[in-house]
Amino acid sequence: MTNAPVLELKNVHTYYGNIHALKGVSLTVGKGEVVTLIGSNGAGKSTTLRTISGLLKPRQGEVLLEGERIDQVPAHKIVERGVLQSPEGRRIFPRLTVKDNLLMGAFTRSDKAEIEQDLERVYGLFPRLKERVAQRGGTLSGGEQQMLAIGRAMMGRPRVLLLDEPSMGLAPVLVEQIFNIIREINSQGITILLVEQNALMALGVANRGYVLQTGQIVLSDDAKALAANEMVQKAYLGIE
Amino acid sequence: MNSRIRAGLIGGIFGLLISLVSGGQIAYLAGIIAGAIASQLAAQEEDVASVRAGIQLGLRAGLVAGALTALGVFIRGFLINPLVNVSADASVVFMLGLGGLVMAGVAGVVFGAIRGLPSPQNRFGTLLAFGLLAVAYPFLDSLLNLRFMNEVIPVLIFILMALGLNIVVGYAGLLDLGYAAFFAIGAYTTGMLASPHFGISMPFWIVIWIAAAVAALFGILLGAPTLPLRGDYLAIVTLGFGEIVPIAANNLDNVTISILGVTLLENFDLTGGPRGINPINRPSLFGYAFEPSQPIPWYFLILGLIVFSIFFILRLRNSRLGRAWSAMREDELAASAMGINLVRTKLLAFAMGATFSGFAGAFYGSFISAITPASFGFDVSVILLCMVILGGLGNITGVILGGLIIQFADRLFLPQLGDVVQGLLQNSNIEVLKEINFKTDFRTMLFGLTLVIMMLVRPEGLVPNERRRRELHADDEATAHERQTLYDAEQA
Repeated sequence: MTNAPVLELKNVHTYYGNIHALKGVSLTVGKGEVVTLIGSNGAGKSTTLRTISGLLKPRQGEVLLEGERIDQVPAHKIVERGVLQSPEGRRIFPRLTVKDNLLMGAFTRSDKAEIEQDLERVYGLFPRLKERVAQRGGTLSGGEQQMLAIGRAMMGRPRVLLLDEPSMGLAPVLVEQIFNIIREINSQGITILLVEQNALMALGVANRGYVLQTGQIVLSDDAKALAANEMVQKAYLGIE
Repeated sequence: MNSRIRAGLIGGIFGLLISLVSGGQIAYLAGIIAGAIASQLAAQEEDVASVRAGIQLGLRAGLVAGALTALGVFIRGFLINPLVNVSADASVVFMLGLGGLVMAGVAGVVFGAIRGLPSPQNRFGTLLAFGLLAVAYPFLDSLLNLRFMNEVIPVLIFILMALGLNIVVGYAGLLDLGYAAFFAIGAYTTGMLASPHFGISMPFWIVIWIAAAVAALFGILLGAPTLPLRGDYLAIVTLGFGEIVPIAANNLDNVTISILGVTLLENFDLTGGPRGINPINRPSLFGYAFEPSQPIPWYFLILGLIVFSIFFILRLRNSRLGRAWSAMREDELAASAMGINLVRTKLLAFAMGATFSGFAGAFYGSFISAITPASFGFDVSVILLCMVILGGLGNITGVILGGLIIQFADRLFLPQLGDVVQGLLQNSNIEVLKEINFKTDFRTMLFGLTLVIMMLVRPEGLVPNERRRRELHADDEATAHERQTLYDAEQA
C-alpha cells in the first residue's frame, strides 16, 4: 500500500497482569483497505483489537491513528476519534430495543439529522434489523445480534471499523451473509480491520492479511498470497 | 371479561385487608384504593377504546373490588369485633360496607373513564387523578378521622429515598447496600448547620441544598474506590460504607487531632455521639413556622420534594447521562466501546442517587428534630432496596407503589393486624394462646413472609410492568424466535 496508513501498530507489547499477550506486534491498515488478522485461539487477535480501542493499554510500543498516538488515550476518547469496534461475542445491550442499541452506537455524536440518516443507512445494510426495531436486543437470533453489533458500530461513523470474530457461532448461510455485508461496508469507503478464526472467509474479503501466533506476527502478505501459502493452508485452512 | 374480574379481585384484596384489619371509617378510603387499583389493572390487561368502554370496565372491576372491601368490613364488624368485645351497631357496619362498595365503584368508573381518553390525555389524566388523591389525602384523613398523618410523612420520606436509590440500582445497575449512609449524611449536615449544636442556624431552604450537595460529594467519595468493582463485590463495599457512617457518627463526639505535636482540635464534639443532635431547627416559610403538631404543612413540603424529584429524575433518565446509565447497566465493556466514559457515568450515578437521599435526610432531620446514629442502620438500606425491587426496578411508578405497600404494611397494617390477632388471642379460652405476645413477636416475621410470598407469586412486582414481565418471561419468547430464524436460514 502506497498511501499513508490510517492505523498503525509499532512493536506493541500488551500484558494481562504478568502474562505477556502481545510480543511486539506491528501492523498497518491503509485507507479503504480490509485487513485481516488471522490466528488460532489465544494467539492474541482480540488482545490486539482491545489494545487499539483503548480497553487495554500497551506497556511498550505505539498505536497511531492517522499519525497521532492513541495508545494512552482513554477508550471513550478513541471512539470519538472514529475507531469503532464490534466486540467479540457481539456484546449487544440485551434489554434495550434494536433501535436504542443502534442509537447507543451514536452516543458520542450530537448531530440529530445525520444520526437519523445513518440509521436509515444501517437499515439499508440490514433490512432484518428494520423489521425488528422495537424488539429487545436479547431476543434476536445470533446472526441478527451480529448484524446489530456491526450496525451499532456503523452508527459511530467509523473511520476504522474493528470487527472481532463476526462469524463466531453462526450457521454457514449467515456467515456468508455477514461477509457479504462486510464487503458492502468496505465498498462505502470504510476501512476495516477484521479479526477472524475463519481464515478462509476472512482472506476472501481482505486485501491483505497478518497471521498471528502466540502474540507475534509470523506472516504478512496479500490476502491471495496468504491463502496460497503452504503454512497457512496447513494450519488455518485445513488443506493438507 | 375474565381479566376484569381478576383485576377486581386483586384490587379487592387490598380493600378487604385494609377494612378488615384497620376497621372503622377507613372502609371508604379502602374502597377508593381498591377501586382505583382494580380499574388500573383491568385497563392494563385490555385496550380501552373509549370513555364509555372505560366506564364499563372500571365499573365492573370496581364493583368486584368493592364487594371484597365490603366483605372485609362485615367480617370485621360482625365476626371479629364481637369476639374482642367491641360492640358495633349492625346498621353502622352495614353503612360502612355499602360506603366501601360505592366508593370502589366510583373510583373504578373515574379511573376507567380517564383510561378511555385518547392517548396523551389518558396518561396525564391518570397522573392528575392520583395527584389529586395525594393532595386530598390530609383532608380525607381528618374527614374520616383516621389520624395517620404522622405515619404518612415518614412513608413519603422513604419513598423519596427509594426514588434516589432507584437511580443507582435501577438505572445504573449498581447494587448499593449502604444507601442509608447518604440519608445519615444529609440529616447530620442539617443537624450541624441548623441547630444549637454549633450555634449555627441557617434557614432550612438553604440547608436542604447544602445537605444534598454534601451527600452527593460523599456519593463520589464512595463511588471512587468501587470503580473497578461489580455486582457482589460492589455490594459488599457499599455495605461497609453503610456501616461506617453511623458508627463514625456514634464515635465522633470527642475528636482530637494533633499533627507533629500541634493540636488542631481537642475534644471536639462533631456529631453528638450516641445522643445525636437535638433539637434541630424547623423550617419556616414567610413567617409561618412549621410545627410538629401540625402535620399538614410537612405533608405538602415532602410531597413537593417528591414531585420535584420525580420531574428531575425523569429528565435525567431521558438525558444522555440516562442513556449512558442503561448501556452501562447492560454491558460495561460494550458501553465503553460505544464511547461512554465509565468513570464519570458511575460516579454521577452515585452522586445523583445520593442527592435525593440528602434531600430526604434534611427533611427528616427537621421533621423529627432529633437525629441519632441508630436511625440510619442497615435495616433502612435493606427496606429501601426491598421497596425498589418489589415495585419494579427502574420504574418510577413501580418504586412509588412498592414503597407505599411496604411502608404502609410495616408502619400501619402489620401493627394493626398484630392488635387484632392479639385481641383474638386474649379473648380466646385457650391458656397457651393467651401467653403469646403476637404483636411484638410476629410483626417482623409477617413482614418477611409477605416479601417471600410476593417474590414467589409475582416476581415482576405488584402492578405488572410490561417490560419487566417480558424480561422475566423472556425465555419462551426468545427460543421461539430463535427457532424461527434457524428455520429461515435453512430455507434460504
